[in-house]
Amino acid sequence: MSLTWTLPALLGLPLIGVLAISLGAAPRRTASVVSFLNLIPGFLAFGVVLREGDLLFGGEASFIREVFPVQFRLGLDGLSMALVGLTLVVTLSAMGVAQAQVKRAKEYYICLLLVGLGGLGAFLSLDLFYFFSFHEVALIPSFLLIGIWGQGDRTGAAWRMTLYLMLGSLVLLVGLIGLVWAAPETARSLDWRILGETLRANPIPGAQQTWLAALLLVGFGTLVSLVPFHSWAPGGYASAPAPAAMLHAGVLKKFGLYGLLRLALPLTPMGWKELSWLVGLMLAGNILYLGLAALAQRDFRWLLGFSSAMHMGTIFLGLIGGTVLGLGGALLLMVGHGLSAALGFAVAGEIGNRLGTTWMQDLGGLAKRAPKLWFYLMIAGMASIGLPGLANFSGEILIFFGAWSAHPVLVGIAAWGVVLSSVAMLRAIRSISTGPVPANLAAKEVTDLMGAKEVWPMALLTFLLLAIGLVPNLILGPARPVLERILQP
Amino acid sequence: MSGWFCPEVCLVFSGVGLILADSLLPEGKKGWIPGVALGLSFAILVLTLGQSGQPMPSSWQNLFLTDGLSSVFKPFFVLCLLGVTLISIRTPMEREERVRAEWIALPFFPTAGLCLLVSAHDFLAIFVALELVAISLYLLAAFQRTRATSLEAGMKLLVMGGLSTGFLVMGIAWLYAAAGSTEFSKILVEQAGRPASLPFLFAVGLILTGLAFKVAAVPFHAWAPDVYEGAPTSTTAFLAVASKAAGFVLLVRIFGFGAFALDSVAVVYRPVMLTLGIATVTLGTLAALPQRNLKRYLAYSGIAHAGYMLLALGTLGEAGMGTVVGYLWAYLLSAFPVLIFIQEMERIHGSADVRHLEGLGQKDPAVAVGLTLCFLSMAGLPPLLGFAAKLSVLTTLWSAGEIPGLVVGVVMAVVGLGFYLVPVRAMYWEREADAVPAKRFPSFLVWILLGAGLAQLVLGLQPRPLVRLVERSLAPATTAVSNEK
Repeated sequence: MSLTWTLPALLGLPLIGVLAISLGAAPRRTASVVSFLNLIPGFLAFGVVLREGDLLFGGEASFIREVFPVQFRLGLDGLSMALVGLTLVVTLSAMGVAQAQVKRAKEYYICLLLVGLGGLGAFLSLDLFYFFSFHEVALIPSFLLIGIWGQGDRTGAAWRMTLYLMLGSLVLLVGLIGLVWAAPETARSLDWRILGETLRANPIPGAQQTWLAALLLVGFGTLVSLVPFHSWAPGGYASAPAPAAMLHAGVLKKFGLYGLLRLALPLTPMGWKELSWLVGLMLAGNILYLGLAALAQRDFRWLLGFSSAMHMGTIFLGLIGGTVLGLGGALLLMVGHGLSAALGFAVAGEIGNRLGTTWMQDLGGLAKRAPKLWFYLMIAGMASIGLPGLANFSGEILIFFGAWSAHPVLVGIAAWGVVLSSVAMLRAIRSISTGPVPANLAAKEVTDLMGAKEVWPMALLTFLLLAIGLVPNLILGPARPVLERILQP
Repeated sequence: MSGWFCPEVCLVFSGVGLILADSLLPEGKKGWIPGVALGLSFAILVLTLGQSGQPMPSSWQNLFLTDGLSSVFKPFFVLCLLGVTLISIRTPMEREERVRAEWIALPFFPTAGLCLLVSAHDFLAIFVALELVAISLYLLAAFQRTRATSLEAGMKLLVMGGLSTGFLVMGIAWLYAAAGSTEFSKILVEQAGRPASLPFLFAVGLILTGLAFKVAAVPFHAWAPDVYEGAPTSTTAFLAVASKAAGFVLLVRIFGFGAFALDSVAVVYRPVMLTLGIATVTLGTLAALPQRNLKRYLAYSGIAHAGYMLLALGTLGEAGMGTVVGYLWAYLLSAFPVLIFIQEMERIHGSADVRHLEGLGQKDPAVAVGLTLCFLSMAGLPPLLGFAAKLSVLTTLWSAGEIPGLVVGVVMAVVGLGFYLVPVRAMYWEREADAVPAKRFPSFLVWILLGAGLAQLVLGLQPRPLVRLVERSLAPATTAVSNEK
């Protein structure tokens, strides 16, 4: 049984959801049902990949020398599996967290479904045209999500995020054009597997590799909020409604890292080595500068935004480590960060809904007033600072080991990053959980998470954080051959 | 007899027939003229599509030829005519109601001119065809005599059009003096393989300037925003899409295949055109940012699009020519629905101000979605059609090694998103729907916009049909060329 239909089904179900909602189906229920049903093709496809190796949908290449050789082709291997799984889970829990009473529910859920669809499509596409396009599908829905349903400086945040991401995408696009054009004319292909083989056989000359690597670094880097292209991220996440922030920080940001793993690292290895000092500088910026900025935050959402952008630095360290261990750690941390950031924003959203504020000084005494909520807040915080047993820890430790031989100084800096993030997060947790209940909010009734209906999205994320933290091979096992292939000359 | 049943002849006869019908029929029986005009333009579209590639009447072949480019663009112009007729029918008239039939019949003549223009392969034929277009357009722009803005638009178009014609004619005269012919293939044969003389290059410059007016390239763009804003919307649509496209098709023909497809010209004019392109993209995009009137906004957006096409064209390679062809079709499919929408908006609200879009996302979600897709496609966002066009421009620039153009193109695409999102933002989040009085748009508009939006999406995800079109447009002439003696 080939089950290749599962890949288009993964994209088709959200689309059906979008259509159904626009034709009048109940928005929230439809979106949740569709996201849940999407787990089925997901699991089936994972099963095939685990048993038989890569799963492909769409024919082999036979289009060389056409003017515009795009071909809709999907594929799933051990690496993309982890990210597709992450997308499915985060989308589902985002739908669970999304409020039932929201203004203009129809558009709201359509936008959310489209953001998730963009992530899925990007991770599944083999053709660079669709790989790029799917990511952009999420751009305008995010713009609307922040602009219509956001909080705080939503207009500014929406514009900043959209224009920044567009700039990053276009720089990336030029880089991708360059990659495709670097292949000999008779063997040009937009399929990254074929392109990869071609460029392995005919490596790009050194100087050109550096340029291409720089374009890809700036392009993908902007999407990943690498310093100094980060300023869209914290504010954007702080202003976005909780499900949108979950999807964006949890899933879409991983697109840039995925692209680096898939394209930049294997296809421009020399350029990447050439630029590793620059990457080092930038990631140190992420870790130290954004870490210090996180320390200064007084609003829990902003803290999450900064700490989320900060962890990208650690992931980059894994990417430039040059070892399978480091890459595996980076992948683990991508998944772990996706889950923990989603959990964090979900909790922040619930707090915001209940108290009308996420200023940490106003949240004192939450542990007593809403113990379940506080529990998940703890999990998100602990995961984010790298408590052993949770997925982020396994990722970080592998990155440190993997990068040690090549970049010991950066590992030292990253260790300080762990300290910074611990201080920031623990301070936040202390003031939220044990601080005094502020006088003006003392009278306000705070309901805890009520029943399974409100708990399951967070429980799901927590369960996966624990499962992956305890058995990292869930992610690393299938991905290992792919990661090894990336580092082969 | 063969070939006389061609689009140009049909268009002229339809136009004349409509005007005659109007003057001969008794008052009160003229109600069916708009419907007939719409039917005629549709029939001619079908005819044009059916006949594509068929040679021109044999006695015309000294001046006009059928080749890939012309057979790809004749349907383009007739499609524009169909849209323009639709807008014309919906245009509210005051004192001019009596002459509505003329108003509807007039666009048939410039369309015939455009069809001739794209098959011309002699500069004299080009001049004649261009004047047929231009004079009809002066009339159309100033048609609403009771509106000062319309008169102003007509006047500006007349003066600037006259100026550009002056450049063009002067160029043709110099060309004849320098090369001894006005026919493309003769000039090409005559000039091939030898350094270009100074008068010849001067002639090329003058002709380029004349055409730069037509496509509203910076610094010859200043007429566009005022004329677009002041002219009746159907004329704006004709100018913005058909007339601009004709300018580009001419540039493609002259610099890509005919007359000036010479290395000696390329050496001098490649940098000139790329610089024009960079200036046009930059100014068009930046000047569009503060616009709040949708017609002005489209004018500047059109200037920016012209810049992108000039950048592609400026590489003077086959890829660039193909890119322009594809880009023009993409532009037609995204800009024209918006223009049809603007007409309806003017009917309801009396102006094309962007604030009339507020709350549309809730009042009329189908219209809003269609419009959004069109605007985003113009912005070049994947997976919409406009992205394929922009991608093609960027790819052309990359493969030609034109890094400055590439950088400007990328930066301006980002800035461009900033202004293409302005109407989107107005539709979805500026105000809640209950703050806006509910006014329904007619259902044909809903279908046009939904269809257009779907076309952006489908063609954007699978641009094969457009690629076929581009490949066909680069095909050589289909007739036995009897005149290349």
